Amino acid sequence: MGVRAVPFNFVKPFWSRIPCREFLKGRIDMPENGNETEKEQSVLESLKEWVSGMLFGSFVEIGTQAIRKEAFDINDNLMLLLFGDFLGIPNPISYYTLELLPYVAEELVPWERRMQNRKTIVAEKAGQYDFG
Amino acid sequence: MTKPAFRPFSFFGGKGGTGKTTCAAARALALAEEGIRTLVVSTDPAHSLADAFDIAIGEEIGLIAPNLWAIEIDAEVEAQKYMKGIQEKMLHIVSPVIVDEIRRQIEIAYSSPGAEEAAIFDKFIELMEKLNDPYEAIVFDTAPTGHTLRLLTLPEILGAWLEHLLEKRARAVELMSMVAKYDREVRQKLETDPITEILGKRKTKFETARRILTDPALCAFYFVLNAEKLPILETERAIRLLTKYGIPIGGVLVNRVIPEGAGEFLDRHRQAQQGYLQQIRETFSPLRITEIPFLDTDIRGINELDKITGLLKNL
Repeated sequence: MGVRAVPFNFVKPFWSRIPCREFLKGRIDMPENGNETEKEQSVLESLKEWVSGMLFGSFVEIGTQAIRKEAFDINDNLMLLLFGDFLGIPNPISYYTLELLPYVAEELVPWERRMQNRKTIVAEKAGQYDFG
Repeated sequence: MTKPAFRPFSFFGGKGGTGKTTCAAARALALAEEGIRTLVVSTDPAHSLADAFDIAIGEEIGLIAPNLWAIEIDAEVEAQKYMKGIQEKMLHIVSPVIVDEIRRQIEIAYSSPGAEEAAIFDKFIELMEKLNDPYEAIVFDTAPTGHTLRLLTLPEILGAWLEHLLEKRARAVELMSMVAKYDREVRQKLETDPITEILGKRKTKFETARRILTDPALCAFYFVLNAEKLPILETERAIRLLTKYGIPIGGVLVNRVIPEGAGEFLDRHRQAQQGYLQQIRETFSPLRITEIPFLDTDIRGINELDKITGLLKNL
């Protein structure tokens, strides 16, 4: 029955012939125990993750960084409008914005720290652009 | 004068000590006696409604006479309930460590100056939603003028504010979902953004309140004053402000008008009052002016209130 007749585990996957194990050591999680097939499966998974991470980092991430920063800024401003009274800015609806507290609780402390540590807005803005 | 149309919501305002609680109580009683299921609400921190009826009134709605229910809203208790609700919700969503970290923020918000007003306003909206279910009329005995006015202008200010916040959040969510194009989990999270949802709900609530408060077929604001100089000035200012926000004025009630033949001492007082009454008629001219006589006893209890309900039937 052609190729199918060959038992599957006799066909060594192509990457097993590539000396990638040495290269990947320390770069990705290498399984220490388990049988050979499991080890190879795991190596393959990690490799996939590593490659996709690299592609994401070098192409997608750079493109979305600016948008991410913008979204981040708008959210920070929104937090300022919602919870300005925590920083001493009176807010007419501080009572009603409390309802949102459970949903932003985790962001609140770092946000407050960021707001208090702001040095210059110009430098912060300039940092967003790639002048190189 | 023709009988004015019946409006389900009536608010009684005016300077402290002019007798607005008595007027609100008598008005509610008058409505109840006509067979209209009426709820009378006190928001005054001093809570004199129980004194006017001479019946204990609690934080829960209770029947105090046939067709008449009453409630005294305690701003502090309402605010506490609200805070407690948030804290409980928070424990479900975030870890106790974070809750502990932001405890300070919760305390700040709790002691913020608008908290009690906002709590009362929330209760107002909640009660207003009970119209026709089962109450056919709701009479609000509101707190002194300045405070009340701020309360009623809240929807106007807050509506604009919320709109701005919603826009900002929408923009942030849009940008975040652009970034998260490759992250399905984040995208799903953003589709049901709780912040947008809560802000949106608030906005709808304020819009409902605003719609009711500015509808002359639904509500009317009555000012209670005495025939004296300062109350006239203050009432004039209050009416101007409410008109500016489009809140319909139902009329002016002049309380403690000294009747004729009350003795030499009071007659002299009456002379002065008549002068101010003339001024009131001129100042508030197109509005309905109701005069309530100065009685020989304090008005306490339903039997005493009955003496003036006749005057308040057609407001």
